[in-house]
Amino acid sequence: MRKALLTAVAFGVLGLAGCDEGGGRAPCPAGKLCFEYGNSVDPQSIDPPLSSLVQEDHILGDLFTGLTQYDAKSIPVAGLATRWETSPDGLTWTFHLRHSKWSDGKDLTAEDFVYTARRAMDPKTASEYANLLYVLKNGEAVNNGKAPLTALGVEAPDPYTVRFQLAHPAPYFLYITTHQILYPTPEHVVEKWGNRWTEPQHWVSNGPYKMTYFKLGDRLQAVKNPYFYDAASVCIDQINYYPTTDSISAERRVKRGELDFNDDIQSNRIAFLRRPNQMPAHVRTNTWLGTTYLAFNGKRVPALRDVRVRQALAMAIDRDFITQKLMRGGQADAWTMVPPGTANYPGGAAPHWATWPLARRQAEARRLLAAAGYGPGHPLKFAITMRNSNDPLLIYPAIQADLKDVGVQATLEPEEGQIAYADYRARNFEVADAAWIADYNDPMTFLTLLRSTTGQQNYSDYANPAYDALLGKADRETDIAKRGEYLRQAEHIAMEDATVAPIYHYVSKNLVSPRLTGWVPNIADWHRTRYVCMAGHKAPADINPP
Amino acid sequence: MQSAALKGRSLWDDARRRLLHNKAAVASMAVLAVLVLLAVFGPALVPYRFDAINKNDVWAEPLQAGHLLGADSLGRDLLARLLMGLRVSLAVGVVATFVSLVIGVLWGSVAGYLGGRVDEVMMRIVDVLYSLPFIFFVILLMVTFGRNFILMFVAIGAVEWLTMARIVRGQTLSLKQREFIEAARAAGLQPRAILLRHIVPNLLGPVVVYVTLTIPGVILAESFLSFLGLGVQEPMTSLGSLISKGAQDMELAPWLLVFPSLVMVVTLMAFNFIGDGLRDAIDPKDR
Amino acid sequence: MLRFLFRRLLIAIPTLFVVVTLAFFMMRAAPGSPFVNERRLSPEVERNVMAKYGMDRPLPVQYASYVGGVLRGDFGPSLKYKDKTVLRIISDGFPHSLLIGALAMSLGALVGVSLGVIAALRQNRPADYAAMGVAVLGVCIPTFVTAPLLVLVFAAWLGVLPTAGWPAATQPWTTAWRYLVLPVVVLSLPQIAIISRLTRAGMIEVMRSNYVRTARAKGLPERSVVLRHALRGAILPLVSYLGPATAGVITGSLVVEQIFQLPGIGRAFVISALQRDYTVVMGVVILYAGLILLLNLAADVLYAMLDPRVRLS
Repeated sequence: MRKALLTAVAFGVLGLAGCDEGGGRAPCPAGKLCFEYGNSVDPQSIDPPLSSLVQEDHILGDLFTGLTQYDAKSIPVAGLATRWETSPDGLTWTFHLRHSKWSDGKDLTAEDFVYTARRAMDPKTASEYANLLYVLKNGEAVNNGKAPLTALGVEAPDPYTVRFQLAHPAPYFLYITTHQILYPTPEHVVEKWGNRWTEPQHWVSNGPYKMTYFKLGDRLQAVKNPYFYDAASVCIDQINYYPTTDSISAERRVKRGELDFNDDIQSNRIAFLRRPNQMPAHVRTNTWLGTTYLAFNGKRVPALRDVRVRQALAMAIDRDFITQKLMRGGQADAWTMVPPGTANYPGGAAPHWATWPLARRQAEARRLLAAAGYGPGHPLKFAITMRNSNDPLLIYPAIQADLKDVGVQATLEPEEGQIAYADYRARNFEVADAAWIADYNDPMTFLTLLRSTTGQQNYSDYANPAYDALLGKADRETDIAKRGEYLRQAEHIAMEDATVAPIYHYVSKNLVSPRLTGWVPNIADWHRTRYVCMAGHKAPADINPP
Repeated sequence: MQSAALKGRSLWDDARRRLLHNKAAVASMAVLAVLVLLAVFGPALVPYRFDAINKNDVWAEPLQAGHLLGADSLGRDLLARLLMGLRVSLAVGVVATFVSLVIGVLWGSVAGYLGGRVDEVMMRIVDVLYSLPFIFFVILLMVTFGRNFILMFVAIGAVEWLTMARIVRGQTLSLKQREFIEAARAAGLQPRAILLRHIVPNLLGPVVVYVTLTIPGVILAESFLSFLGLGVQEPMTSLGSLISKGAQDMELAPWLLVFPSLVMVVTLMAFNFIGDGLRDAIDPKDR
Repeated sequence: MLRFLFRRLLIAIPTLFVVVTLAFFMMRAAPGSPFVNERRLSPEVERNVMAKYGMDRPLPVQYASYVGGVLRGDFGPSLKYKDKTVLRIISDGFPHSLLIGALAMSLGALVGVSLGVIAALRQNRPADYAAMGVAVLGVCIPTFVTAPLLVLVFAAWLGVLPTAGWPAATQPWTTAWRYLVLPVVVLSLPQIAIISRLTRAGMIEVMRSNYVRTARAKGLPERSVVLRHALRGAILPLVSYLGPATAGVITGSLVVEQIFQLPGIGRAFVISALQRDYTVVMGVVILYAGLILLLNLAADVLYAMLDPRVRLS
């Protein structure tokens, strides 16, 4: 009785106090526009050479501007560099910088870029993305400690010109200059404060925003940088990035207006959220540069060295069921490693069975397995090592059932992520659940995985001289169309060989408040806050300022 | 000593009579018996296998397409999975608790009774082990020894006995000073006899209560591990694993949360009422 | 008493040392590495990374170096959160976990003891069954079910409380307290359940005991009998429980911190263990061990104060 009374009083108090909608949205200074951004995880580092996560790039891309940046179609356009030239042999790239300042008012010069590149390749920095810059002359040697930093193929002939020397032609070099590894870091701050330069009181960056507060588990706050070269066109004044690790909780926060945006949606909730009484206008999906696939370890399971067996396995998977009934997030069936829509690529590398209906593929799979010596009396058996996160746990039982349909007995061995990755690298698996997200918008980032020289990252240990030769030719080809054709031929060989069995291509899934304007879906999933604004406020700037 | 033994037997008789008068406990015993029967024989009686994927029945609602309780995101029958999950959870709960009970009571009572250096050393060991967070222990054990089912029992049991030992030691310390223990010592009984025949039976009250808290605790610990992805691995399932997945999709498919939760709550409540009944029945001072 | 305290604190030091050593080698023995993730590192890059954190040295050397650092107050850099030191991560996160945990424990103790006493005094009557029924529910439903359920009801449907997050420093206390309500309530429910049962059991035993009968025979008012005499004895088993339980609760709950997005160390600890962020894990283990030792000591002292028959040896 007393307890009931107490509860009633509590409700009453809550109710009275809750006249103003119960709060929940962080306070925003009067007259300013604030963007509450759900970013899935805490950044592990906001020092550009040490960052490796996509979510870190969301933040870094607002705090820094590199030589080039992506436009709305994910094509590199001018950033800090207004124009650039390539030498005829494709080995020298010269970038001309605009005059700009750091957020503490100091001038930003080409020397800062030289410093940045050297620091990224310094073995003591231990950057995880250093191999992206192996394309630079002596890049690999410098990173291995075998050459001094000054030997790196980057120099500043004058304060507003940066010149790169490459080890071989790389038509995709503009994607590298867009990548976070080449975001300029302020030499005068880093040298003075060392590891502590990323603390809010020392922070200096050159982009539309600068960081003012960062606590793990809480948020990272960035405010407008008045020294940004195009500050006048930046609409949002303040951004709070929250580590929204629980995506369903984030959904509720977006619905209530506590967040304006979340960078992830649990796949199988998308159909639900698109219902008219939920959040249909918030759900934005787009093809994304990532693919999941099965890798086959021929060293552990001799049967997997037989191309017929691998082809059978690749054919047997019912991708339609997986993408349309299980995941339902708009993921696309994958028959190739490179997702359709990737830049500089004609596509069309799928193996010949890609267009067949499931029944025909399964019949052919059984026939191939029988030809290789496996059938009802002598079934093929192996274990699939997989990560025990949500999406694999959803689709692999279905894959197991598909394989059973063609007479293959596969057991599932879910492992914690860390262990799974370690096992894959050590080849401690029979068949593996693998995935790859592109480092940049070009097919090479996927296809280089299957090169025989790639080492640990080539999980299936594919070693095909014809494939390697085609990739080598593509490396040296400066004509984009011809290069794309070499890459297509190479991929087609690998797919017919079924060295891996692609399953589906990722989809970027974002929840975006309809109040936000200027947010455009694109394949690289880049959405820089400087182009975003809120309905009813001044419009964002042109992407290529004068 | 003859009369002491006789007296002991009639005490248990009294206890049993008292227990059977407790309506909640009796009802719970019946419910638990039903649950155990379901867990042991249920999976064989249901038309679907717990791991069979039915492609056309994804998210089927209860009573649709031959699924009494509906189906999950892969079209697997919920009733079949629920029965299998019940089996797994009960097994984990009982075995791990038994392990922790035996170790905990022995350790705690010996330490409390012997006192002095032995007590210090034994409790120091408990302190050291206790200072390692449960999760730390379990993650390491799970991760080092793989997805071994048996080791999950060991991991959980290996952590739960510590609290049991502490409580038992505390009670033993109190009991040690009592007159009837003095009397037994004066009568010349060996420490082992005193321990087993006088102290341990008198510990039963709080220990039984703690055991009835431990079984649900173990089942919950396993569900927490499932939440983290470390518990029972797919396609095998447990109540906790069903519930943690069901909680995610509450709005989409509430039956996936409601039914497993109901079963788990009923199971745990049954253990609780039985434990209460046992405590009330055994405690000789209670009327 | 003082000698007892002094001795216990003295013993705590080698205990802590053993804990640190045990934890260190156990963590390293487990498979997996902090530098392995989906983004496969090339061997040269990985070598650089290992060298940066001194992990290319033999294990005993790393251990000695770590212990040396700890004695100087340097708990090392985080292996995953590369801009932060372990000390910074823990000193940032612990106050939040402490606040939520202390509030939850207080609420749990208050409500739990009250429920337990009521149930014991009205044993086997409807009030007892009702109170114990509520208590049982509190312990039977996992926090990762109660949390989203409460969020659904109070935040999504009723809209009176925020969904998640920690209030910003600029937020006035009048609105900031709302962020703490759901996490504290969710965290306190299992404690209420356990504490009420322990109190009830203890209370029932004590109410039949000689000294309570004596107090009643002396003609003391029932209320005084209950509150001044019986309760003291009844909460003895509770005291043994509260020591370690409090340590566990104030070092943060993963579930509550994840669902309500709270910047505490509970979540950081589990994630670090799963990611093999050795230094952070070690830091939290040391913190937890220290708290346990302290709180156990407090529980033992309290126990002795409450039960005059127990002598602190």
